[in-house]
Amino acid sequence: MAKVSPLALGSALAIALLVSITVAVTIGPADIRFDEVWRSIGSHLGIGVSPLSELRDGIVWQLRLPRVLTAAAVGAGLALSGAVMQAITRNPLADPYLLGLSSGAALGAVSVLLLGAAVLLPLAAFVGALLALTLTLLLAGSLGAITPSRTVLAGIAVSALASAITSFVIFWSVTGDSYREVLSWLLGSLSGARWPAVGITMVAIIVIGIPVMLTGRLLDSFAFGDVQAASLGVNVSATRWGLLAASALVTGAMVSVSGSIGFVGLILPHAVRLLVGPGHRALLPLSALLGAVFLVWADTLARTLFDPREIPVGIVTAMIGAPIFAFLLTRRKSST
Amino acid sequence: MSDDSVGADSVRSRSSLGDDSGLIAERIRVTTDGTLLIDDVDCTVARGSLSALVGPNGAGKSTLLRALTAVQTPAAGSVTFGSHDLLGMPRRQRARLAAFVEQDATTDTSLTVGMVVALGRLPHQSLWEADSPESAAIIAASLETVDMTAFREREFQSLSGGEKQRVMLARALAQQPQLLALDEPTNHLDIAAQLAVLELLSSLRSTGVTVLAALHDLSLAASYCDHIIVLSHGRVVAAGATETVLTEQLIADVYGVTASILRNPVTGKPVIGFSPA
Repeated sequence: MAKVSPLALGSALAIALLVSITVAVTIGPADIRFDEVWRSIGSHLGIGVSPLSELRDGIVWQLRLPRVLTAAAVGAGLALSGAVMQAITRNPLADPYLLGLSSGAALGAVSVLLLGAAVLLPLAAFVGALLALTLTLLLAGSLGAITPSRTVLAGIAVSALASAITSFVIFWSVTGDSYREVLSWLLGSLSGARWPAVGITMVAIIVIGIPVMLTGRLLDSFAFGDVQAASLGVNVSATRWGLLAASALVTGAMVSVSGSIGFVGLILPHAVRLLVGPGHRALLPLSALLGAVFLVWADTLARTLFDPREIPVGIVTAMIGAPIFAFLLTRRKSST
Repeated sequence: MSDDSVGADSVRSRSSLGDDSGLIAERIRVTTDGTLLIDDVDCTVARGSLSALVGPNGAGKSTLLRALTAVQTPAAGSVTFGSHDLLGMPRRQRARLAAFVEQDATTDTSLTVGMVVALGRLPHQSLWEADSPESAAIIAASLETVDMTAFREREFQSLSGGEKQRVMLARALAQQPQLLALDEPTNHLDIAAQLAVLELLSSLRSTGVTVLAALHDLSLAASYCDHIIVLSHGRVVAAGATETVLTEQLIADVYGVTASILRNPVTGKPVIGFSPA
């Protein structure tokens, strides 16, 4: 099967990401031109270019650019976490939501929203994601040796519990205005993303995501399972739990600003695999790049498709992702 | 040969052996979820030999192989190979010394044959280093040894059982091990593929690699292997040169069947016929 060269695809995706970010900023109710995007960025970075009017600069620098950059970072983080989780659980249908992370984050977020402490939302979502992961791992451990399938089953149980409590909290106490806010968060939305969100997600990508991208060879060794990985000199449990924790941290950071955006972590690594093959040294960085491009455009669709109303981006990714997920399921069935 | 005398042999001989001693395992004990699977096993595999580990289902062959290569750390005991302490040495270093081929290796991925064999280079490379020309040459040579060079770009999953087994063997060879342990390498293979695998394993002797394979087929074990270790209920019940160990009486004791050891009129090698006890 003819595969694309990873280097060529990487370069193409890097260029596509830069172009996508610029174009996405120009799209919206107020017309912004390409050169204005770069002039705004340039003037804020202190490069000697003529600044835009305060209003137009506000639209670029305060509203659209941080949102587009957050979309890129969240897409990259979710796709990377998905690729890692698929490798270490040896489950091609795995993604960051598998281990209860998303439901845990949602519970944390909804709780603080309803307590009227929305400022704490990122923190609460983050803590919720980590608590859910810890609970999943404890539950998997209590079943005996922690295996991928036990972890997945434990994740489903924890997810169900967290969702039930979330529903209860919503049912019990949500009224009027807060309902829309809660719902939009549950469905995944980047409408509130400003520079702090860019900061949180970019730090997660740089501090955790980039080191994770360097572990491709280790993930390759898991292709035939734990025994072979161990026989190749890999510290299986340290690698597995280290990478799982790293993925949870990345996902937690992403979910804390965006809510639960599904399917990005699931489908994009598969797309990259089809293009360049299954080797993880290329798969991890390329999944991150493709995830970034994908979510920039998904979010642009989310805010423009039904202009002037905006839909949560999670609906867009689910509309695109669910049919692809179904396709993957049928393909998996025919191959086993 | 009784259990005790095997243990005494290995203990006695150990002090006199230099760096070229083979695999020496002492008092290996493996428990999984509270069940004792391997119970105080002592065994030795001579350097450069092809040895078989045989025994009925559930005797603990796979478990012992994993313990001997430290893929699964035993609860107690020691394993040395030459001057190396296999259980105590760093993992990557151990993976350059000892390779393990598991039974019926499967993958969900679309790795090509070349990529699977390249996995064997993992213990020799740092994480982000590009594949060196030396590594590429070793991968090519390993494929050549198992006669799978033409399959290099094929997807591993598309291969037949015998081809897969040869690829996994090439992967192990790419580790450049001195000790190679294989779990049921002839499982699910047709006769021609079974013979091909064992011919390959016996040809490795000339390269100095010490090979220990768990085998179901006693005739194959008898005709190809220098030494045999017989395992039953997690204990070694006999070990030594194939001709002396594999007797009709021992097979009756361990497997509960009546065995007749015959001679293959073509090769002159032993063939074992069975009937119910």
